[in-house]
Amino acid sequence: MGSLLKRYREPLFVIGLLGASFLAFFVNAKKGRSPNTVERFLVAGMAPVENFITWAAFGAVDAWKGYFALRSVREQDLALRRQNIQAREIESQNAELRQENERLRRLLDFADKQAPKRLLVARVVAVGASPHSHSVRIDRGSDDGVTRGAAVIAPDGIVGTVAQLTGSYADVQLIVSPLSAVPALTQRTRSRSTVKGTGDIQRCILEYAARTDDLQEGDVLVTAGGPGFFPQGLKIGTAVNVVRKPHGLFLDAEVKPAVDFTRLDEVEVVVEQTLQPLGSTP
Amino acid sequence: MTLRIALVVALCFVLAVAESVVPFVLQLRSARPDLLLVVVLYLALHDDVMQGAALSAAAGYFSDLTSATPVFLYTFLAVLTFVVLRIAGSGLKTEGGAQSAVVAFGASLVHALIAAAVFGFFTGTGVHFAPVPMLWSAFGTALAAPLVFLLLRRLDSNFVHAEESGGLR
Repeated sequence: MGSLLKRYREPLFVIGLLGASFLAFFVNAKKGRSPNTVERFLVAGMAPVENFITWAAFGAVDAWKGYFALRSVREQDLALRRQNIQAREIESQNAELRQENERLRRLLDFADKQAPKRLLVARVVAVGASPHSHSVRIDRGSDDGVTRGAAVIAPDGIVGTVAQLTGSYADVQLIVSPLSAVPALTQRTRSRSTVKGTGDIQRCILEYAARTDDLQEGDVLVTAGGPGFFPQGLKIGTAVNVVRKPHGLFLDAEVKPAVDFTRLDEVEVVVEQTLQPLGSTP
Repeated sequence: MTLRIALVVALCFVLAVAESVVPFVLQLRSARPDLLLVVVLYLALHDDVMQGAALSAAAGYFSDLTSATPVFLYTFLAVLTFVVLRIAGSGLKTEGGAQSAVVAFGASLVHALIAAAVFGFFTGTGVHFAPVPMLWSAFGTALAAPLVFLLLRRLDSNFVHAEESGGLR
């Protein structure tokens, strides 16, 4: 028996290692757990280094852009001033619409069942190490009120959800990850579907979109909302390669994400806010 | 030998940081090199089975810590890739930079296929191969492979010299 074990110790060791890592992965995937002390220690060593390198690299780029590459700034300044005036006009109109919306909601006795949310700005400090990982690391963690599963958004649309957390950092699983699925609404027709990641950073697939839906190329898909998901109405992307098969319940389509994940530098994390008593608004 | 293991693990740590920062700073879309895979490839071709498999698990674990996926997925993938490369690569040579680049290109494709299969199996969505990003990533890995091989060879040659002169153990 001893000699047999000695003879096959190499394959037995490798099989044991494979089995142990698979079992540990399987248990973690089913239960979900927070990082342990060793993992927190390693991330605490890794993330500040990533943060520093990113800060130094972008600092150098900013310095170059800010001091050495100032050509045509005057023209840009004028154009931006014009855009600013237009934006202020739109903002003022939006404020009017918000107030009107609020009045109408009160008239209809509308009760928002969702807990109030606040947006926490976070800086992206790194991406997932493996090319197959589809994640980004942000400089906000549980100390800032971020929780696992929190939605992460950018000005152009949704980014993903928080999958792993330490005190000061969080890893965000992008919507293009094969592990991601987001309930969606077609903005034009209000029909429901699910946007599923494929592992390709430039496309997702649309699932459970009924064949009878009037989905067209270029239709905008927004989040459907619901407890535990993204707030309703945030842009996910646009429908492309819509194929309506002659039979079957669902049509085939792909979704081009609204966000360019290679150019993310700042994002916003949606965190739950504790309810304020009525009349205590500042 | 313990020091060599510690240095390979430290190198994996440095490469994991580089792998998560460089593509972000350079805004690389697809041609992202998989530096830790190159380490796994080197171990599969040069180390003994037990030590190579254990160090591959360590390399995979560093990927796990930065990947927002259930922990040990990349550990499992790294060991599985080590086994496949060990079996398939017994006849391969990686003496020069060009040879290591070619072998790394192939290894990256094998790893991507295994990753897609494992992801497809566990997410229940079926296996989706994205050939273009796969090829770009393999290209990036092939470009980076000679440098990583050089680092590991330097590390190993220092140990050979030290052991020949009765130094490090």
